[in-house]
Amino acid sequence: MRNNTMSIDRVLRGAAVAVASVFAAAVQAAAPGITGTGTADNFDLVAAPGYITQPDGASIYTWGYGCNTAPASSNFVPAGVTGGACPAGSMQLPGPTLVVNQGDTVTVTLHNNLPAAAGNTSIIFPGFTMQPFADGVPGVLTQEAAHGSTVTYTFVADTAGTHSYYSGTQGDLQVEMGLYGALIVLPSNTATTTPTPLAGAVPTGYAAYIAAARAAPTAAAGLPDTCFALGGKLSGLMDTGDYRLAAAAYNHPETCYDREYLFQFSEMDSAIHRQAEAQALSAAGLACAQGTGCMNVQTEPYHPEYFMINGRSMPDDMDPNYATQYPHQPYNGNPHMHPGEQVLLRVIGQGRMQHPFHEHANHVRILARDGNPLFTLPNNNLAGPLLFTTSTTPGMAFDGIFEFTAKNLNWDPYGHHTADANNAAVDPGCTPDANGFNTGAAAVNQINYWEWCADHDKPLEAHPFGNVGSGGPITLPDPNILANGPWYGGSPYLGFEATGRAVGGTPIPPSGTVGNDPGGEAGWAYMWHSHNEREITTNNIFPGGMMMMLLIDPWNYSINEAN
Amino acid sequence: MSSTRFFWSGIAAALLGLIALPAAAQSFRVQCPSATALHPDPVTLAPAPAAKIAQYNALVGGSTDAGVKATAYATVFPGHIKCQQLGGGDGFATMGDGTQMYLFAFGPLSGLGNIVHGLPGTVLNTVFNQSNLGPANGTITDAEGQAQPVGADGVLEAVKIGAPDSADYNFNGAIGLVPDTSDSKVGSVTLMIDPNTDLPYTGSGYTVGEQVVFTGGGGSGATGHIAALGAGRSIGVLADGVTAAITIDNPGSGYISPPTVSFAGGGSGAQPIAALVATDGLTGHVDERLIMDVGVMNGNFSAPTIAIDEDDELFLTLTNVGMVMRPDLFEQHTVHFHGYPNASSFYDGVPDASVAINIGGSFTYYYLAPEAGTYMWHCHISPPEHLQMGMVGQIYVRPRQDVGTTATLYAEAQNDQLDLSRKCSATDILCSVQLPPANSNPRVVGKKYAFDDGDGSTAYDVEYPIQMHGFDPNFHFVGMTFNPESFADTKDKYFLLNGRSYPDTIHAGPMHTQSTDGTQHYSQPLSTIINIPLGGKALLRFSDLNVTEYHTLASLGIRMHVIGINARLLRDQDGNNTDYYTNSITLGGGESIDVILDASDTTTYPANSKFYLYTPQLDHLSNDAENFGGMMTEVNICPSASFDANAKKCL
Repeated sequence: MRNNTMSIDRVLRGAAVAVASVFAAAVQAAAPGITGTGTADNFDLVAAPGYITQPDGASIYTWGYGCNTAPASSNFVPAGVTGGACPAGSMQLPGPTLVVNQGDTVTVTLHNNLPAAAGNTSIIFPGFTMQPFADGVPGVLTQEAAHGSTVTYTFVADTAGTHSYYSGTQGDLQVEMGLYGALIVLPSNTATTTPTPLAGAVPTGYAAYIAAARAAPTAAAGLPDTCFALGGKLSGLMDTGDYRLAAAAYNHPETCYDREYLFQFSEMDSAIHRQAEAQALSAAGLACAQGTGCMNVQTEPYHPEYFMINGRSMPDDMDPNYATQYPHQPYNGNPHMHPGEQVLLRVIGQGRMQHPFHEHANHVRILARDGNPLFTLPNNNLAGPLLFTTSTTPGMAFDGIFEFTAKNLNWDPYGHHTADANNAAVDPGCTPDANGFNTGAAAVNQINYWEWCADHDKPLEAHPFGNVGSGGPITLPDPNILANGPWYGGSPYLGFEATGRAVGGTPIPPSGTVGNDPGGEAGWAYMWHSHNEREITTNNIFPGGMMMMLLIDPWNYSINEAN
Repeated sequence: MSSTRFFWSGIAAALLGLIALPAAAQSFRVQCPSATALHPDPVTLAPAPAAKIAQYNALVGGSTDAGVKATAYATVFPGHIKCQQLGGGDGFATMGDGTQMYLFAFGPLSGLGNIVHGLPGTVLNTVFNQSNLGPANGTITDAEGQAQPVGADGVLEAVKIGAPDSADYNFNGAIGLVPDTSDSKVGSVTLMIDPNTDLPYTGSGYTVGEQVVFTGGGGSGATGHIAALGAGRSIGVLADGVTAAITIDNPGSGYISPPTVSFAGGGSGAQPIAALVATDGLTGHVDERLIMDVGVMNGNFSAPTIAIDEDDELFLTLTNVGMVMRPDLFEQHTVHFHGYPNASSFYDGVPDASVAINIGGSFTYYYLAPEAGTYMWHCHISPPEHLQMGMVGQIYVRPRQDVGTTATLYAEAQNDQLDLSRKCSATDILCSVQLPPANSNPRVVGKKYAFDDGDGSTAYDVEYPIQMHGFDPNFHFVGMTFNPESFADTKDKYFLLNGRSYPDTIHAGPMHTQSTDGTQHYSQPLSTIINIPLGGKALLRFSDLNVTEYHTLASLGIRMHVIGINARLLRDQDGNNTDYYTNSITLGGGESIDVILDASDTTTYPANSKFYLYTPQLDHLSNDAENFGGMMTEVNICPSASFDANAKKCL
C-alpha cells in the first residue's frame, strides 16, 4: 500500500514536470486585479456557483465572486500582465482582486446568482465604513442581496494597503464555499488619514504612476528615487518591465517596492461542498424562497483536505495567471525576483484556519496589518517585526517586504574565483557600494549585480569531488550519493553557465530540471509554504497544497511577469 | 554571449565525461578542517588572505608573547571552526504514558558526550577530529583531556555498538573517524634489516620470489614476495649491526599499526614494519562499520541540538544510515536550517531545489553563523511525513556581545556599525539590531546576552532551548507498518517539549528507549527542567515544529518577557526596543520566540519556589488518554545564586 502511495506521488511529480515545462519560460505572478469603471470606482460583481479543479483531478462545486459584466481590457491591472479575463456572470476563486486608489469612493454592486437554496448573500469589507444602503435587504452583519437580486456597497477607501473581503452571510458555509477576495488600496499623497504623509517622499497612486512611467520609463517621473522600480531605474537592463500596481505600499518611502505578489491562503473540506451541491440541486433547494436559505450542511467536524494559495494547489499555483486550464482560478503563486529587489508580499488569510507561512531564504519585514501601518511615533520609521514564518489568520491581511542578497555566505554565489584561469574572462569583478553591494551602473548587465562584494572570488569548492583530504574548505561528495531536485540547476552557483563555473562536474546536472534549466534561468529556488506541513498535500498526496517555489534570478535574466 | 555559453557547455560536457569514470569508493565521510581562511592555523596563519595576515602582524608588532598573539588572533580571526555530524535514520522514543513511538529520526554522530548530558552536540574542530583508534587494550587521552579506553581490536570503546551506554559517557569526537589509509597502498616496500638479529636465518637464505606473510596491523591485500635483495644479503656474511636491503612487493594497504612479516622459505621473525602504516592522518575518512555500529536505530528526539556563536563557521555533516524498520524505503534526508537569512538554495536542504543525501552517503553543509537568535532545523524530505515522524531539532546562535571586550555594550554596537557585514543601515529594512539610544550600560560579568542589543536589555544567566512538537500515534504506527499515510486527518495525541511530555519533561537525565535490536538507546536526551539561580534570569528559546496545529504555552507565576521573535531582536528602526510582557505565547509550526523569565525580584520569586509552564489548550495537556501530561514543565528558583551554568543545576 505504501508503494501505491509513493507511485501516486511519482505520478504527480511527473505531472508537475510536464505541466511546468510547458510554461517554464514565463510563469510569473505580479498581483493582478481589476480597477473600477466610471469616474468613481464602480465594480459590478456577482456571486455564483461553479466548479474549480484541483491537481488530483477533482472538480469541486464552489461558490465564488466574479464579474457581473466583463470589465474592459483597460481595467485589468497591472497593464503589463496580459490575458486578463473576468467573464460576465462567471465565478472565480478567489474573487476578483479589486484595485482602488486611497481616498476614492468605491461602489460595489453584488448580484446574487447563488442557487436559491443558499438564500441571501453579501460582502463585508472589514475596516471600511459603509455608506447608507439604497437597495438590498438587511442582514446581521451588513446589507444582503436576496436570491436573484442585488445590493450595492459604497464606501471611501480611506486606508491604504491589502484588505480582504468576504461574505457576511452564513459565513461558516459561504466563506468555506469560496466567497472571498482581496481589495488593494493604493496609497495617495492626498490621503488625510494616519500616518501623516512624509513631505517630499510620497509615492503616488497607480494611475498617475503608470501614466508617468509609460511616458518616461527611465526618468524618475517626479517620483522619489527610492520609489522607482530598480529594474526600471537601470537603463540597459534586460529587465525593464514594471508590474507594480503602485510605487509604494503606503505613504512612506520605505514601503516602496520593485515587485509585488498577492497570496490568499484558504482550505476546503470537499464533503461540505458535496453536501451543498446536492442540496442546491434538490427539488426542495430549487424551490427555496427564504432569505436564510434552505440548506442544512454539516460544517463541523471540519476536515479540510485541500489547502490552496490563490485558489490553486501546488503545482497548479505555479502556472500563469489567467491560465486557460483554470477558468475559475485565475490567480497564481509563483514569485520571481532579482537579488536586492524589495518585494512586497500582500498576504491574506481566507477560510477558517491559521497557516504558518514560511518564507525560505530570508526574513520578511512586516509593514502593516489589515492596512494599518506599523510605524514608529513620532519619526514614522518601520516598527513591524522581522519574521521568517508569517502566520496567516482568517480574515486578516498583512503586507511585508522581502529582500534577498545572499549576503554573508562566505562564498561567492556566482562562482567567480580567480584560482580558475578559465573563469577570469567571465569574472566581471565586484565594486562595493557604501553598503558593500555591487550596484554601480557598470554592473547593471552583469550576472553579479547586487553581489555582496566581500564574498567575491571565494570558492565554495576548491577541488572536484574526491577524497576529503584533497582540499577545501568544502569538497563536494561523489554525486552518485546525492539525488538532484527538479528545480536544481546542477550547480551550487547562481545563473547561466553556473554548471561550468562549478569546480568539477559536481554534482551531476540533473536530467529532469523543471523550471530552472542550467542553460537558461538557473535561478536559486526556494520553497514558500505552509509550515503546518500536512497542508502541503493535496487530498493526502504529497507534494501539493500550500506550496510554491520562489526563484531568485541573476540580473542578466529577464523576469517577465506579463504571462 | 552565445559563444561564451557554448564554451561553458563544452566544459560541462567534458566534466560529465569525467564523472563517467568510476566514482571513488568513499561515501560516508566527514569534513571538519583544521584551518580556513577565516580561522587559519594559529602558527602559520595559512590559509588566511594576505590582508588579514598583515592586520594580525600589525597587532602583534613583532612580539613573541603568546598572550599578545592570542589576543591579536582573536581580534582578526574571531570565532571558531565548529563541526557536527548527524545520522539520519530511525529509532524509538518513549511517550509520557509509556508508549513506544517509532520515529524517522536524526541521531548524534559526534558530540555524543555532550548530547547525552542534554547539551548541544556542536564541538570545536579540535574536539571533533579525534581518531577512533588507539593502542589495543590501552587508553588514549582525547582532545578534551578525557581518558578513552581502547578495545582489543584497537578501537575506542566509546564507538562500539549501543554507544553511548552510560550517563558517564564523555566522548565528543566524530564517530567513525579513522586515519585515511586508502591512499597508502604502496607497490613495494624496502626494508633495511640486520638479517642476523631482525630476521634470524633459519634456512638456506633469502631468495627472490620467496613469499612474505604480513600479520596484523589491520591492512589487507598483501600478496608479498621478495622482489629484490640488496648487496650483502647472504646471511651470516654480514656482521651484526650491518643492515641489508630487502625489497618486498605487494605489501597490501590499510595498516593502522605496523604489521609483522615472516618469510615462508627462509628467514622468519617479527619485525613490525612501520613504513606501511598510513600517514595521511585524519582527513575525514571514516570507518563505515563504526558509523553503522553507533548510528543505526539511534535516533534522538528532539534531534541533536546545534549551538554556534556569531563569527563561527559550521561544518555540519549529515550521514544517512538508512531506516532499519523500513527497508522498503530508500529515503533521502537533508538538513534545512530554518530561518537562515539570505540562505543559499544549495545548503537550504529543500530536495526539490538542491541535493538530497541517499542512504549510505554523507554530505557536509557549510554555514557562517548568522545573526544571533533562535532558529530550528529539520529534514525537508516529504515534510508532512518526516517532520511528523520526528526529524526536527533546535539550533541557536549566540551573539558576539557574549565574548566582546568593550567596557560598554553600546561601544560594541557602535563598532558593529563600522563593519559592513554587521552594519544595520537606516535603509536596510531586513535588519533588527539598530543602534539603541546612547547608554553606558556596562558589560556584566557572568551575564550572557540573547542578541547584540547594545543596551543589555537581553541579558540572562542561563538559557534553555525548548521545542514544541506533537505526535499522532496513528500516523507513526502507519509510518512503521508499510501503510499509506493520511495527512489531512493527522491529529496529534502527544504534545511534547523537547521530545518529552509531562512528567518526563522534569526527568533530569537522558531518557532511553529499548529498540527493536534489544538495546537501550538514549532516545530523548533533553530535559525541560528550568532551574533559575536565585535572583537570576533564564532565556527560554522556544521553537515550534508541529506540523498540524498551533501551540500556546503559558507561564504560571513568572511573567514572560518577550525580547525576540523569529531570531530577531524586537526593536524598531528608531532603535527603540519593542519587547513586551505576557503570560502566554502562541507559536505555529516554523516559528520561534525568545522569552526571558526574570526572577530577579527575590521577594516575589524566593528561593526554592516552584512555578509551572503549561499549555492552557487543555487537550494538549494530556498523553493520549492520560490526563495531565503533555506540554507542561517546572520552573525552579534555586536556593541561592550559586549555579552550575554548564549542567544548568542549582548548587
